[in-house]
Amino acid sequence: MELSQSISFAALGGHFFVGLSRAMILFVVTSGLSLVLGVLRVPNIAHGSLYMIGAFAAYTISRLFGGGSTAFWLALVISPFVVAAVSLVAERLLFQHLYQREHLMLLLFTFALMLILGDLVKLVWGAGEYRSIVPPQLLKGSASIFGSSIPRYNLFLIIIGPLVAVGLWLFTNRTKMGKIARAAAVDREMVGAVGINVSWVFAFAFVLGCFLAGLGGALVAPTISVSLGMDHDIIIEAFLIVTIGGLGNMWGAMVGSLIFGLTQSFGVLFWPQFAIVFPYTAVVIVLLWRPMGMLKSVW
Amino acid sequence: MGKKGKKFLSVGVLLMGGLLCLSLLFMPASAQARNIKVGIIDCYSGPAAVYCNEALNGFKLALKEINKQGVLGRKIEFTTRDTKFKVDLALNMAKELVMRENVDALAGTINSGAALAVSEAVAKAEKIPLLVWISKSERITGEKGHRYVFSTGENTAMAGKAAGVALSRKPYKKYWIAGDDYEYGHAMADAAWRNLKALRPDVKLIGKSWWKPGEPDLVPYFTAIVAAKAEAVILCTGGRSMANALKTIRAMDLTKKVVPWIHTATEIAVLRSLGPGAPEGVLGTSDYLFYYPDTPENRAFANAFKSAYGSPPGFPGFHGYITAKFIAEGFRKAGSLNKEKFIDMLEGLKIDSPVGGKLEMRACDHQVVLPIYLGVTKKVPQYNFLISADNITLSGDEVMPSCEEIMKARGKK
Amino acid sequence: MVKPGSSLRSFWICAAILVVLLFLPPVIPRFYTYILASIFVTSLLAMSLNMVVGYGGLFQFHHAAFYGVGAYTFGLLLTKTHLPMLVAFIAGPIAAALAGLLIGWFCVRLIKLYFAMLQISLGSLLWAIAFRWYSLTGGDDGMHGIPTPSFLFSSTHAYYFILIVFSVCLLLMYLILKSPFGMTLQAIRDNPDRCEAVGVNVRRHQLIGIIIATFFAGVAGVLFVVLEHSVFPDLLFWILSLEVFIMCLLGGWFTFIGPVIGAAIMVSLRTFVGIYTQYWTLILGVLLIFLIFFLPEGIMGFISAKLGSKPVEGIERAVE
Repeated sequence: MELSQSISFAALGGHFFVGLSRAMILFVVTSGLSLVLGVLRVPNIAHGSLYMIGAFAAYTISRLFGGGSTAFWLALVISPFVVAAVSLVAERLLFQHLYQREHLMLLLFTFALMLILGDLVKLVWGAGEYRSIVPPQLLKGSASIFGSSIPRYNLFLIIIGPLVAVGLWLFTNRTKMGKIARAAAVDREMVGAVGINVSWVFAFAFVLGCFLAGLGGALVAPTISVSLGMDHDIIIEAFLIVTIGGLGNMWGAMVGSLIFGLTQSFGVLFWPQFAIVFPYTAVVIVLLWRPMGMLKSVW
Repeated sequence: MGKKGKKFLSVGVLLMGGLLCLSLLFMPASAQARNIKVGIIDCYSGPAAVYCNEALNGFKLALKEINKQGVLGRKIEFTTRDTKFKVDLALNMAKELVMRENVDALAGTINSGAALAVSEAVAKAEKIPLLVWISKSERITGEKGHRYVFSTGENTAMAGKAAGVALSRKPYKKYWIAGDDYEYGHAMADAAWRNLKALRPDVKLIGKSWWKPGEPDLVPYFTAIVAAKAEAVILCTGGRSMANALKTIRAMDLTKKVVPWIHTATEIAVLRSLGPGAPEGVLGTSDYLFYYPDTPENRAFANAFKSAYGSPPGFPGFHGYITAKFIAEGFRKAGSLNKEKFIDMLEGLKIDSPVGGKLEMRACDHQVVLPIYLGVTKKVPQYNFLISADNITLSGDEVMPSCEEIMKARGKK
Repeated sequence: MVKPGSSLRSFWICAAILVVLLFLPPVIPRFYTYILASIFVTSLLAMSLNMVVGYGGLFQFHHAAFYGVGAYTFGLLLTKTHLPMLVAFIAGPIAAALAGLLIGWFCVRLIKLYFAMLQISLGSLLWAIAFRWYSLTGGDDGMHGIPTPSFLFSSTHAYYFILIVFSVCLLLMYLILKSPFGMTLQAIRDNPDRCEAVGVNVRRHQLIGIIIATFFAGVAGVLFVVLEHSVFPDLLFWILSLEVFIMCLLGGWFTFIGPVIGAAIMVSLRTFVGIYTQYWTLILGVLLIFLIFFLPEGIMGFISAKLGSKPVEGIERAVE
């Protein structure tokens, strides 16, 4: 297939913004995954399931409040907390007993959790219909930027992403809890030795990470059809992103998400037939160039 | 106990365990009074489950009616297996249904890979009739067709031809082709373009783009299409991706700049989920609409379906329903449970269609003859979701490949 | 993990099991011969993976890619060419091993999760090729009704063929793991730094390990085609890789025979629980969690630990 002949400035700009908005959703999800990886050393395959639960919860909540604009904002705020509650239960019941296990066992465990959560979502929400959330009035329709029309909702995502990043940075660098969590990521025995209840620090970090997964799910819900299988769709991408960014590094997740989102978006522009392989190729190149990811890993 | 003894014991324990498992496996499948048994393999997990559950509902609804009078003094019963959209599981389960449950016929599935695999490795090899009810691959009854496989749904060849006929009547010249990057999308695109080009040699294809199935963000693709100044776009997507596509069309106001045609865009499963958020002005084709044609039979069928399952039927419910009817009628005509006789009777069999008139199972390729309805999405006051308006019916003969073409395709491989 | 003294006894036990399996098809229903054959194929795949995971300590996360390469090569050669079956049969594993060499060559430069992710990316590119190249591979539908030789068409014959190849491969894998090379591989798993220090070329050994493992994965792929007459892109998808990985952990990844147990459990569970409920993955998930809490070494690991046979050293060090 020939390359697209006419790549105008408008198209470039349009694809840049679209890639950016996709990257922001990926960032919200992967920053949570990265946090859990960094602090708890848990490669959480069930992260994608929590993202899916976030989307389903957002659907139900927005339905509950009548489906209007207010309902959307409420869903966006509440559903991450629903996911956080689910993850808190999982953490206290199961995860906290397993932190000392080898990574592969944790992997097996989170895989099992993914299987369970996937079927639970099916039990709770059923598989009988497609679900869809309408974005609020404010974010409907599209805006014209550089001569190409971008949905307003995508622009909203581009604003949300950096906000989450800054919030997370403030949390890890400016709050006591965040500092302890960072310290625990480096040396958990030492943190325990100075008299801090590490167990609850871990629980908090875990829940926060899952909260972000839920937020990602709620954010993505208005752009897609909420359905089973969302967990599979995102989890491998999410792991690739945190790896190329540098395991456990929040800014690494940002860099990885940008690489992923933008290569995908520009891939479509330059070589639509094989757009599918661009992000994977980018991962291969990054890992061969910097075997430990772009930014410093805490591992 | 010495080390050797322990080792021996461990192996002994293992063997015992193995034997126990085996004895569990040997529990025979229930063999009560012999009903007609249909084994259903389909995907009841993941995004495709929406359609599969509806097809099953249609099938169940028909069974309720059929079993009131019975078939050859028996009832038709069914058992389902969840393939999770995986071909290996589908094979595994189809074999289990045939070899262990001894089903009289197989039905399913939405996954065309699974349909083709089961068609070859189970239906053909074990001589069991397979009725495919959702998968739209034209290869099932086309080049890969054989004596034991039937299709009760429309396929890409039919939809593509319908699109070609319909689009050739429109003024557009500059086309773009886009869609889900898998067999369904490509087959649909090929069929639509081939037919359109044959009817209107002056149309021009200015570009193509394919995204991975389930791609969440279609904005970049659509942006490129608008940037290239296409007049119409042949969009080859379905199921869950369809909802994404329609949402993006709405969010970008795409229909103002370029006219999209999508097979099954007028399908209720997606339009209902989007509610008033679906875009108007999308050209769509479907082989079943519960409000068109507005015949008493169709109304009765739609109402029965709605009162049983809470919402009116879409095409999967329709396909599931007629599949059951074909099975029942085939066995009635065959007069016994003999599968070969059943197949002979099914060839060319005509049943009453739930939309009125007759439906024929074409003898030459085992493909049911279905009309295709072309319409455009529109808001109407009586429903809280969009429907297909300004419908045109393209009859089955108009949209189906001829028997000669099918035989040629089968011969060439 | 068998000591020299007891190896003779193990040999006789294995021979006895083999004889039992040889005489099963006439007495059990056809469906169970099919399921057994399916278990052999999956087991071979899981054992080949375990050579590099359990014995090599590598995060081989996309092993199914090589399984798929083997299956596709075999299927393509039978469908598109008129080469004899034997050539196709040998070409499948060789193609898989070549893919293993190519991907492994990049991957051994990395460690742990980085290794895993690089392999998933590279393996996914293979998957994309199988998924996209319609004219050759049949795209996402795959190829069905692959014309395997007529003497393999009946399910009983396929069963015997698969059983024999499986047994031979098992023996070969056992011998390789007992060889000096296999021992070195395990030493590298336990302490790569020390091995490097005494002059072992760690990367080369790991790469050879990967090539051998992918070769056997290719054999498993070929056997899959013999059994099912189909190839499709799911065979190269990461979900299958993860499932196979889980089989190793489930059965006991530091035991030779563990993956067979894991594969047998997964295959029978999905077949026989799937009859009663579509929620069998829920049951599988719960079962796995119980295993993790109560049998962390996998089933075989538990049995050998209970019976006091030689504990496996370096389990903890292998991964952290």
